[in-house]
Order: sequence, then structure tokens, then C-alpha cells
Amino acid sequence: MPGPLALAIWYVGIVLEIAFVVCSIARKSFFRYLFLNTYFLLGLGSDAARYYFLSRFGQSSGEYCYAYFYTDALLTLALYIALISLYARVFGELRFNRHVRFGAALLLLGTALFSYAVVAQSEKRLTTDFAYELSQNLYFVGLVLTYILWGAVLKLRETRTRLVQFILALGLYFSAYAACYALTNLSSRYSVVQYMSGAIGCLLPLTWTFTMLRHTEESRLEPARLLAVAR
Amino acid sequence: MSRKLAALALVLAILVCSMGLKTALSTGHADSAVMVANGPAPAPTGPQPHPTR
Repeated sequence: MPGPLALAIWYVGIVLEIAFVVCSIARKSFFRYLFLNTYFLLGLGSDAARYYFLSRFGQSSGEYCYAYFYTDALLTLALYIALISLYARVFGELRFNRHVRFGAALLLLGTALFSYAVVAQSEKRLTTDFAYELSQNLYFVGLVLTYILWGAVLKLRETRTRLVQFILALGLYFSAYAACYALTNLSSRYSVVQYMSGAIGCLLPLTWTFTMLRHTEESRLEPARLLAVAR
Repeated sequence: MSRKLAALALVLAILVCSMGLKTALSTGHADSAVMVANGPAPAPTGPQPHPTR
């Protein structure tokens, strides 16, 4: 079993995931943000599966490793769909929904083909390697898409506070994981890096729950102010 | 037709940017660390999948 700090971070994360779903239901926004809620519900299911394998086989077992990376692939796919749902909301008023869906499907297909090309030689563990590679690649596609969406939010002068905060939080989350990934490659021997990914995992449910609690659907702000510089 | 080609070009550009970013962050090594994302669960410490290895 992992140490008490890692377990504490995990429990906090689970509580925050539940909090987001509960807040959505309480604020009558569950179906409005269905894909965000689905992501957290799948996250809770993944946590349950991971806990089962962790307590039964241990953190260094192959079973936990498989459970971890298969659920990770599923969650990355769910997060990608959640991100596309945010795209659909931003571009919804411009009636670009069809184009967004088509582009998202095309991008997913392209990522899947690219991932398959990378793992095609692996005959023994093709499914596992493909799930792992797709998850990793889709993650970076999501990172780039979030920045593009933020550019669109600024360009279109999006004013819906919740939507803006959700996108900003997602950008922060993706960027923090990317930084953690780079740091792991540079200095994986430092134990603090091991706790970082768990702590970052709490960031998204925390910021989204805060947004859901603090702002209503009618709240508006002006993201153009973020670009203002002191003269 | 041109719209479809534009969409294809955009998708390819995003894919190239993403994979470029991934390579840059992995500091150019093929045997780079595994990205552990999605959720606060502790990452496995055993042997991890690595197709490029």
C-alpha cells in the first residue's frame, strides 16, 4: 500500500469529485454539464476499481498497473469528450456544433491511428500498449485543444463566468500535469515528484467545484480584462 | 471539398503540435517517464507499459 500522504491526497480527491457532482445536482446543472459530471462519475468508478486492485494485489503488482492504465485511458477519453462539450458550448451560438463534432471525431481518429502506428510492432501486448499510447497522446491533444479554446474565448469575448472558469481550470490542470511530466523526466529520483501527480489530480475537481458553488449560470465577466496591461 | 481539406489540415496541425510538445517535454528520450494523469490515485510502482521501449 502507498504511504499515508499519498492515501490522504487520494481521499481528498475522491471527496472533491463527489462534491462536484453533488454541487451540480444541487445547482440544477447536472444535465447542463453532463459530460463534466460523467467524467467525475467515471473517475469515482475508476477510483473504486483502482482501490480494489491496490488493496488486493499491491501498488507494484501487474494487476494494479493494468487497472490503473486502462482506467486512465478511459478517463482521458472522457475528459476529451468533456473538453469537446465545452467547445460545443463556446461555439454553440455560432452554430458551429456540427463542425466541432466532425473535427473532434476526426482528431480522435487521427490520434488513434497515430497511436496504433506507434504500437503496431508490439504483438504480445497490443491492446495494453495501444490503450496506454492513446491515453498519453490524447492527453497532449487535449492540452493543445484547451489552449486553442482559450484563444477562442478571448477572441469571441465569451462572458459566461462558469464556462470561462471551467476552461481556465482545465488549462491549468493540463499544464500542471505537463510540467509534472517534464519534471519527472528530469528528476524522477525526488520523492516529491511522486506526490505531485496525485495533488494535481485534486486540482480539477477543486476548481470546478469552487466555480459551480460560487457562480451561477447567469454570472458574467469580461475575459478581455485579463489581457489588459498596465500603462 | 476545400472545407474538408481545411479541417483535415487543422486536425493534422493539432496532432503535430501535440506530439511535438510530448517529445519536447520527454526531453527527447524514447524511454521517457510514463505520464500519470487523471485522478489523485497513487501511480503504480511496478513495471509499466512502454511501447517505444
